Amino acid sequence: MKKLTLALLFALILAGGIAMFLGNTEVSLSERRQMTQWSDVADSKILNGKLMSKAEDAAMDQFPLRDTFRSVKANFLYRVMGQLDNNGIYIHEGSAAKLEYPLDELSVRNAINKIQNIQNTCLRGTRVKTYTCIIPDKNYYLAQELGYPVLDYGRMEEMLSEGLNMTSIDIYDLLSADAYYATDPHWDQADIVPVAEHLAQQMGVPFLLDDATVQDGGPFSGAYTGQSALTLAADKLSYWDGGILENCKAYDLSTGGEIPIYDFAGAQSNDPYNFFLGGAAPLQVIENPDCPNDRELIIFRDSFGSSIAPLLAGSYHRITLVDLRYVHSSILKQYIQFTDQDVLFLYSTLILNQSSALR
Amino acid sequence: MLFSSLIFLYAFLPLLILLYFAIPKGGRNLILLLFSLVFYAWGEPKYLVCILVSITIGYLAGLLIHRYRGRLMAKISMILATIATLGLLGYFKYADLLIRTVNGIAGSSIPLLRLALPIGISFYTFQILSYVIDVYRGKAEVQKNPINFGAYVVFFPQLIAGPIVRYLDIAEQLKTRRCSWDLAYSGAVRFLVGLGKKVLLANQLGALVQAFDSSVEASVLFAWLAMVAYMLQLYLDFSGYSDMAIGLGRIFGFEFPENFNYPFLSVSLTEFWRRWHMTLGTWFRDYVYIPLGGNRVSKGRWLINIAVVWGLTGLWHGAGWNFLLWGLIFGAALIGEKLWYHKFLERNRWFGHLYVLVVFLFTLVLFRANDLSGALTGFSAMFGLDGGPVYNAETLYHLRSNLILLLLSALACTPLPVRTLGWCEKGRLAPVVTVLKPVALAAILLLCTAFLVDGSFNPFLYFRF
Repeated sequence: MKKLTLALLFALILAGGIAMFLGNTEVSLSERRQMTQWSDVADSKILNGKLMSKAEDAAMDQFPLRDTFRSVKANFLYRVMGQLDNNGIYIHEGSAAKLEYPLDELSVRNAINKIQNIQNTCLRGTRVKTYTCIIPDKNYYLAQELGYPVLDYGRMEEMLSEGLNMTSIDIYDLLSADAYYATDPHWDQADIVPVAEHLAQQMGVPFLLDDATVQDGGPFSGAYTGQSALTLAADKLSYWDGGILENCKAYDLSTGGEIPIYDFAGAQSNDPYNFFLGGAAPLQVIENPDCPNDRELIIFRDSFGSSIAPLLAGSYHRITLVDLRYVHSSILKQYIQFTDQDVLFLYSTLILNQSSALR
Repeated sequence: MLFSSLIFLYAFLPLLILLYFAIPKGGRNLILLLFSLVFYAWGEPKYLVCILVSITIGYLAGLLIHRYRGRLMAKISMILATIATLGLLGYFKYADLLIRTVNGIAGSSIPLLRLALPIGISFYTFQILSYVIDVYRGKAEVQKNPINFGAYVVFFPQLIAGPIVRYLDIAEQLKTRRCSWDLAYSGAVRFLVGLGKKVLLANQLGALVQAFDSSVEASVLFAWLAMVAYMLQLYLDFSGYSDMAIGLGRIFGFEFPENFNYPFLSVSLTEFWRRWHMTLGTWFRDYVYIPLGGNRVSKGRWLINIAVVWGLTGLWHGAGWNFLLWGLIFGAALIGEKLWYHKFLERNRWFGHLYVLVVFLFTLVLFRANDLSGALTGFSAMFGLDGGPVYNAETLYHLRSNLILLLLSALACTPLPVRTLGWCEKGRLAPVVTVLKPVALAAILLLCTAFLVDGSFNPFLYFRF
């Protein structure tokens, strides 16, 4: 039996090793990233140790049945060891979320400074009306209920209120854990109509989603599906279309080309949330020729803005979306003429707590 | 390279096993030497020169001592080799401590050298010293074959984090050793147990400790939880590594000395240090304490001897005054036990257990701090002197999340699992165990692989030595 055991163990490590070196996976769909390949190792230097660390990375990334092993680890930690999260991601009643704490006041201060800078450089001397709105992350509704550590949301609101001289729009009571995808940090467009309506009301425009209906975009497996490595039932990708949205058009200002408001190819990509406006981009515009007014809205936003902007398309003739993660505020005036638009700073608590991404 | 890495488990080890058992016995030490040099260079290519210089010093010293035995030159060779190897250790490990101390006392601004510590230098320096001194004392025969000597010093299982293997322990085994299926099986089991302790328990405990270090408002309860986790992590990490080293040695026909013997069962610190990192303790006993006279001197001199040994033990663990203090605390405790309360502890075993755990836990605050002020911060956190809350949501979250881990880790620190398995193997469950054991071993390997595939945080704590 001892010889058999040794033979079994040796066979496992030999087979695993051969398969590891034969691996050539370029991209992991579950983890949504490029994988280190053995060819990357060959490009590295020995003396500074980079070759060795690249080899270790390649071994991890090219190991056979990587996704299965990740799932084994996640399930062992979660179901056997009773750990409440795996890589910071926890699941409650089928819905996953990533723990986000503690509050990084320096980060929030940085975000406030960035917004103040835009006010001073782009908006001063214009007739724009400015608004802020914080989008709570899923933890506000899930983690707090479970007694898990969360951000100090009150302190974040307090800092923004003290630091920014603009109308604050509160949407916390309009959302719940169910308004977010179970497998993704983002909110579900089908469930955020009350939020869009409230925003429109606060900004003094009629909310028009006439005759638009909810469509089924098929299954949606969000970012947490791969990150958690645990079994999660896919969400349904729902979106509002038709009616007043029928003749809306969207453009990417950096390329000058037209883009779909709902990008079905994007739904099949590494990040299915790219379905909304084709994913993150520095400057985008939605135009509604059927809008009964000529009001314009500029949204300084993160990825959450991609799904709510189409819901406001009925209320504005033109919506400009600015993503400061991809465009520096110093060049905005080359693309946008700030006159009398409504300007909405719409950021999630996640971005505000990690605002180094904002330029 | 780490034992707990995919490159080691699935490339280095199977290749070495294939080559080692394929070539004639006469070439096996050369294979071990070459693979061990690759193992060492994998983590530290720049400092390969340092270990090769140390090997050369030790090898030449042995030859000179043998050549001039009984003459002054032999003593000079021994002394010079000791100074040279300790000098290298001192330069890389203690130079900045000296500079910081001088700057602090004299108010000077001498720039720090900021040298990276060659991995394992504290371990292989002591191994080379043991060889040189034992050859000088006539206890060990000189090793004239540079391949055999090199293989002894750099043999990868114990190169990075021990056990400290004295030349006397394996001199014969370098020449003639027996490999067998039984030894290989025993080695494989030992290796996998160590791998499991390291990857499945110690690394997860380390993540908990890291969560505490990253916490913005750590509570008193979290500070205690982190220290308990650190204590368990340190033991499981280090003893797990020793298990892997001993297991690997057996696969290749070597029998290494044990390094741990369930130290948390001790009822006194005297007993604790006979169960914790045993090869270090015996090294200091044989090469420092006894040459200084041990306890066969006046009482005053004996106290000095203990202070010297424990001060050096502390400094061996780290280049900082907090480590010196750490060592001296143990020295003081051992003196106290010897003089006053050892019998009390032996008669009141439960109190003794608690005393050992609490004292060791508190000394670890010094041990894991970067310096004395860091240690004070640690103590403040444990007693709420920094104004932190008694507990908070974050603390309760981590306690709930890691409760099973902590309980399993505590169990792994006792002989209960091994004794239970032994009892099953002898009783009516023996046939079941015979069938399940290979399955369990394969499961440990695959589960550890799962963690390594998805892992990123995986250091050995004793690497900084």
